[in-house]
Amino acid sequence: MSDTDADLTRAFQKGHADALPRAYERFGPLVFTIALRSLSSRADAEDITQQVFVAAWRRRDTFDAGRGSLAGWLTAITRNAVTDALRARQRENGALLEAASGRQVTTAPESDIVVERIVLADELARLGDQQRLILMLAFYAGLTHDQIAATLGLPLGTVKSQIRRGLLRLRARMEADDVTCRR
Amino acid sequence: MSHVDAEILALRALEAGSLAAGDELHLTQCPQCQANLMRLAEIVTLARSGGVARALERPPDRVWQRITAELHADEEAASEDPVSRHRHPASRRGLARRGLGMSRPSVAARRRLAALGAVALLIGAGTAVGIQQLTQSQLAVVAQIPLRPLPQFPQWRAAAGVAVMARNAAGLQLKVTLHASPGRGFFEVWLLGRDGVSMISLGDLNSAQAGTFTLPPGVNLAFYSRIDISLQTFNGSTSHSKISVVRGSLPG
Repeated sequence: MSDTDADLTRAFQKGHADALPRAYERFGPLVFTIALRSLSSRADAEDITQQVFVAAWRRRDTFDAGRGSLAGWLTAITRNAVTDALRARQRENGALLEAASGRQVTTAPESDIVVERIVLADELARLGDQQRLILMLAFYAGLTHDQIAATLGLPLGTVKSQIRRGLLRLRARMEADDVTCRR
Repeated sequence: MSHVDAEILALRALEAGSLAAGDELHLTQCPQCQANLMRLAEIVTLARSGGVARALERPPDRVWQRITAELHADEEAASEDPVSRHRHPASRRGLARRGLGMSRPSVAARRRLAALGAVALLIGAGTAVGIQQLTQSQLAVVAQIPLRPLPQFPQWRAAAGVAVMARNAAGLQLKVTLHASPGRGFFEVWLLGRDGVSMISLGDLNSAQAGTFTLPPGVNLAFYSRIDISLQTFNGSTSHSKISVVRGSLPG
């Protein structure tokens, strides 16, 4: 978690007047994109985004920064709202019988992956331009670190340390968010 | 044998077969290094599984308006406090109109919201501060305005800001916070008229890119309805530099 995120987390918890708009500015796209790609409906994604931020602000005194990040908490609330919306759809689609028969109604199995990919994209976007480019080349272009160094005209040591720090930062973000998801 | 270096593990997570023989041997025997490699490899797998990461989408502005409208409705329901009756008419009417104009949450949505609240309570599991205290602290806030960069100034596309308008005994105050890469000069906060020409300078931001300003008493906010932050150079000129970093509109 970057310093500004840590600072925002504290401000949000304490209920500072500017914390909600700052949180919305920072995490609105995260919440909205998770809802949008999970539900494939702009209107539903807008509703969920509204619900998540209103609920988070009303209940911010229950958020425990010692147990995880603000991003993770908002992601968890979003996941639950998405799950609710999907269940409501299933009911509307006549799946009520299935639920009544005692079978567990669950969200699509790929929904966790959807959320994880979006969180990853969010953290990637927070990296510096050079570091993000290096990781993109490593992830998606499949270049070796030697090739990346040659492509970007950077010392090999720089590429290696940027990859290590970038991967560790992505992992830290995923773990911070994941920890918060557990009740 | 010593553990595999973190840098080397990170590279191994991206490329099979990139380890020296000694490290590869250590890895087969060390659960700790295996676990570290696994956690890094999960990130790599996740990244590669989705194709090139698609950029996140920003929700449309009306969502923020709906959030503030809903939270203001909370405050007004919670209190007949004189403060809420004597808010500036322009912003108060504006919020009310937006609130009514947007689709109100359905009964189902309200239930979902209540469920959400319960979920949040479970997740946080912290101490329960009284709701009354929460609403009291918010009462004086009239509007929260996101400040965004303008398309015609691409050099500021990463900038963002927030203006919080609040009423206290002295009148209307504007607390402004900016996040922008520092330029050569200083940031100045303006109220911008609807004609696009009239401007009132409120003051300069400090080195932390923040500032609190008292609005001129009696200012017509229905006309001076926008907040603008400019980058000014130290050239002695007191007028707007015509370089806008971010801008936002008052509700209504």
